[in-house]
Amino acid sequence: MYWNKSYECMPREQLKELQLERLKKMVSRIYHNVPFYRNKFQEVGMIPEDVKTLSDLQKLPFTTKVDLRDNYPYGLFTVPLEQIVRIHASSGTTGKPTVVGYTRNDIVTWSELMARSFMATGATPHSVIQNAYGYGLFTGGLGVHYGAERLGASIIPISGGNTQKQIMIMKDFGTTVLTCTPSYAIYLAEVIEEMKMEPESLKLKIGIFGAEPWSENIRKDIEKKLNIKAFDIYGLSEIMGPGVAIECECQNGLHVWEDHFIPEIIDPITLEVLPYGEQGELVVTTLTKEGIPILRYRTRDITRIIEEPCECGRTHLRIARLQGRTDDMLIIRGVNVFPTQIESVLLEISEVEPHYQLVVRREGALDTLEIKVELSENLFSDKISNLEKLERRIKGRVNSTTGINAKITLVQPKSIPRSEGKSQRVIDLRNI
Amino acid sequence: MIRQVSIFMENHEGRLSNLLKILSDNKINIRSLNIAETMDYGVVRLILNETDKAIEVLKANNIMSLLTPVLAAEVTDHPGGLSRLVDVLTQAKINIIYAYSFLPKNTDNAIIILRIEENVFEQAIKVLNTVSEVELLDEATLLLK
Repeated sequence: MYWNKSYECMPREQLKELQLERLKKMVSRIYHNVPFYRNKFQEVGMIPEDVKTLSDLQKLPFTTKVDLRDNYPYGLFTVPLEQIVRIHASSGTTGKPTVVGYTRNDIVTWSELMARSFMATGATPHSVIQNAYGYGLFTGGLGVHYGAERLGASIIPISGGNTQKQIMIMKDFGTTVLTCTPSYAIYLAEVIEEMKMEPESLKLKIGIFGAEPWSENIRKDIEKKLNIKAFDIYGLSEIMGPGVAIECECQNGLHVWEDHFIPEIIDPITLEVLPYGEQGELVVTTLTKEGIPILRYRTRDITRIIEEPCECGRTHLRIARLQGRTDDMLIIRGVNVFPTQIESVLLEISEVEPHYQLVVRREGALDTLEIKVELSENLFSDKISNLEKLERRIKGRVNSTTGINAKITLVQPKSIPRSEGKSQRVIDLRNI
Repeated sequence: MIRQVSIFMENHEGRLSNLLKILSDNKINIRSLNIAETMDYGVVRLILNETDKAIEVLKANNIMSLLTPVLAAEVTDHPGGLSRLVDVLTQAKINIIYAYSFLPKNTDNAIIILRIEENVFEQAIKVLNTVSEVELLDEATLLLK
């Protein structure tokens, strides 16, 4: 089911023409309205008129989170504040947050893309959507909210946290679609299990989870525990918020709404554009954003572009499920390690529940990785030799996947702290 | 067959005392205790007077436990009493995974708890039943000893 079939299924040639036309306007708008971009263009010796084809985009400069901070709060806005109807900000772990502004049209576009995203997962105007993303400066809450209203569904703006109430409302209000972070979905599923509540007693059919990377195995786990289909959604406030890309019912990659965004994959070290299919850092250019258009934003998210046409009929390119963030990437003894790699190993090894923690230490001049793994009932054995075998298997698989010789520590069930928001998978104790 | 309660336990201060407190608060008596340890964790193996209640209590306290079938064999308490038992298992090529003593209150005989691989468990019972010096006990009988 499509929300806007003529755009979602637009033949690629026509889509590219539309992108080029929009890109030219966008480039001209930022060049003439934002001194920051004008300077950057001058540094590489380009003017907007030099953009004649889509591949000319590769010659243009990148924008980073640091650029947004340097121009805090409104320096990259292309319209006067009176045209901005909403301001969001993403929490800065260090220093100032990054601030984004939306015009009335931006909100319309965002709502449309979220409505498309909902439809792609099978949600309809009849859906009852429980939105457990946090409402506030974070784009997740309101982004999903406006999209659901645009779709014509019934939205429950419960926001995050208060798990008991979430479950009560889910049951009593007949929620059919749940939106939250994947780690919160796991937490909800666990609590439902502990309450000895049958997932069949809920009307839940669809889960749309995003804002942090999650693996295919976690998807299976959530789908089984909650008896739903779970979809990955991608977005970031710098580009728009949730709804930049969405998994369709094929559940095989996320369609990037290309009539509004151009995705590229670059090598995060050399900054060269990589061919479709190769893994690297996702870079996104907004085509229609008015409040704060962004040129070639370095998302720090690791993925690849899937070029093959999708069975769903949508022509927009897909990105693979995120492999992690360049920020989350741990460099241990010179080796790049993503927490998601460890996660897939653990899940592969006979259904270890996805509860683990990576502890990185520096002992002398050497980095060490300890992986704490919660033991589950099906893995527990009263034979020490079996437990040691389990440790060796995990160690071996981690080693063959990452090349790291990690220490595996089995820990008691439920001993790793659960989070209601984003989970802290990594503790880096190195003082570098 | 005896039901042994096995509990995974990290090597941290207070973990064992917490477990013992939970059992004692619920008036569950420990008849036998064995701890196998590695550097980071141990497995506590218990024979309890009220196994079913213990399982419930542990679950309610978020402690993961596992019921393991073990054998309790009564042998005479004098030198060589145990060898007959071990010999006959060895001859049948049945491996003992671990064993520990159970301290009886009402007999002068010794009681040994044996953990045998599941796939030869029945065979082990058969073999031991042929030995007159060894008596296999069921759970109720064991707890009266």
